[in-house]
Amino acid sequence: MKKLLLTGVALSALLAMAGSANAAYVLGMKGPGAGNPFWAAVEAGAKAKAAELGVEVIVVAPPAESDVQAQITQIEDLIAQKVEGIALAPTDPNALAPVVDAAKAAGIPVVFVDTRGTNEGVTFIGTNNEVGAALAAKYLCDNLAAGSEVAILQGLISQSTGQARADGSKKGLTDCGLKVVAEQTAEWDRAKGLSVTENILAGNPNIKGIFGSNDNMALGASEAVKAAARTDITIVGFDANPDAAAAILAGDMAATIAQAPGNMGGFGIQALVDLKAGKTLEPWIDTGTVLVTKDNAADYK
Amino acid sequence: MSDTPATKSGFSLRGPGMSKFLEVYGIILVVVVMMAVLAAIKPDVFLSAQNLTNILKQNASLALLALGMYVVIVTAGIDLSVGSIMGLSMVCLAVASKAGVPWPVVLLIGPAIGLLVGWVNGVGLTVLKLPHPFIMTLGTLNVARGLTYLISNGAPISGLQPEVRYIGQAYFGLGLAPPAGIPASLILVAVCAFGLWFFLEKTNMGRHIFAIGGNPHAARVSGINVDQTLVVVYMISGFMAGLSGLLLAGRTDSGFPNAGIGIELDAIAAVIIGGASFFGGRGTVLGVLAGVLIMGILRNGLNINNVSAFWQQILIGLVIIIAVYIDVLRRRAAVRR
Repeated sequence: MKKLLLTGVALSALLAMAGSANAAYVLGMKGPGAGNPFWAAVEAGAKAKAAELGVEVIVVAPPAESDVQAQITQIEDLIAQKVEGIALAPTDPNALAPVVDAAKAAGIPVVFVDTRGTNEGVTFIGTNNEVGAALAAKYLCDNLAAGSEVAILQGLISQSTGQARADGSKKGLTDCGLKVVAEQTAEWDRAKGLSVTENILAGNPNIKGIFGSNDNMALGASEAVKAAARTDITIVGFDANPDAAAAILAGDMAATIAQAPGNMGGFGIQALVDLKAGKTLEPWIDTGTVLVTKDNAADYK
Repeated sequence: MSDTPATKSGFSLRGPGMSKFLEVYGIILVVVVMMAVLAAIKPDVFLSAQNLTNILKQNASLALLALGMYVVIVTAGIDLSVGSIMGLSMVCLAVASKAGVPWPVVLLIGPAIGLLVGWVNGVGLTVLKLPHPFIMTLGTLNVARGLTYLISNGAPISGLQPEVRYIGQAYFGLGLAPPAGIPASLILVAVCAFGLWFFLEKTNMGRHIFAIGGNPHAARVSGINVDQTLVVVYMISGFMAGLSGLLLAGRTDSGFPNAGIGIELDAIAAVIIGGASFFGGRGTVLGVLAGVLIMGILRNGLNINNVSAFWQQILIGLVIIIAVYIDVLRRRAAVRR
């Protein structure tokens, strides 16, 4: 009996610690800031902006990247807590649409960050991934001989970001006359990027360029290329995370595309505060993309 | 569970020569057939030294996980925490490596964390008397993954000491063009597989492990210290997972906190494809390695043929079902004869 009581006390103490805060703005991310420097930067941007504006921000994310169900549950619970506003990066735009409608019906302002949702009239704050991927493709076009063989490492193409980067890069590469001989997914994962690239190199020894739809996969590819002792392969990633910047400075990768994840978090919170104050927003607030090469990689370390 | 304990070594009292042969080597035949088919479809790529090297090094860490999982499954248990142990080991050893801890110490971190989490699993199972290892290891799956995120603060930790990377990355070229050769990780897998085989077949405790899987009650009555043996079993599984983390960290030059998510299911699949039984008491080390190779060759074959990842998942699911069904048929035939 005593044991039971103690267990009960311990459990409720845990719950109390986990606690909940009202009257706060919410940043709902796709994956844990723990797990991906990109989300960590979105989180940091939102927190910095919240501190600047003197508002409170709660950051939530599903325990694993793209866990749709967990995200729906989190947002539903937050609506029930009557938070001030929600900046949401939807894991799956269609699946999250009803929850976003529910939030709006409850009078809670919503904006989308990073990934565009399907709900009408909700502002989107994020990168144009197709334009970013085309920028990466252009770098490969400018640096490789026409007709060279190239490969694309795709992210999860069931997500709009993965799809946009796959489409944008494919179009850019084929339009300028490069030959895309392999397109495979490595699911945004470094170890899978490495394995998939090893297999691509085995099947296509003439590859001269690789576009990784994110830096994790591009870094995996660079390990495979190094192991194969190939120095004639140009690798371009996407995201400009610190590891990729270091790899560019070390000459293992050629370039990457910087999004501005800090802007997404920061603009997201700003937009919510503006909406709360009764202002109207543009339908798309672009956070921009930049080509990162040896010249400016030091800024992203 | 009509199997006699003797079948574990592949020695069947009932079957004549052929069915005995199939019992032990049938699974190897599946590997050979798969290789023959792929070689026929993509002769210039599949059998190239580079591609064969790829298959070996891409599956080394799964092989270690599966070997550990095999020991657990022999006791009719399950260890869901191995993927998280792998992630935790990678992140911890990466932090230590970056902090300038001497490399011989860094090498020990992964296996040590594995032993520790394995010990917790074993103690949870035997002292807290949780009803099934599924529950205890599901708990540690979450705890270890949470710790992984806490310690790494989410970001991957890259740039390890070359000595730490060695076992996961080095290979012996044998005069072949890079990156073909014998991966160092293959040697580690071979050593572990042999060690495990020796432990299970030639030591008292190994025999006890099979006895527990066959019939835990009888094992207890016959004087085997079941609890102590189970703790050792989960420590072996944890140890292998930690070692596996060391391999993957070396291979990718990174301790990334999402490493190993879901890989416990691949390990379980490989063990089951390799002919072990969820009811315990059955299986061979050779079968487990074959199970890993079957999954690895399948993935590789689909990759080099540019088959979409969605199809790969469907096919791997089907292979799990078919492989175990063939096993069921084979055993039924052997019993009838």
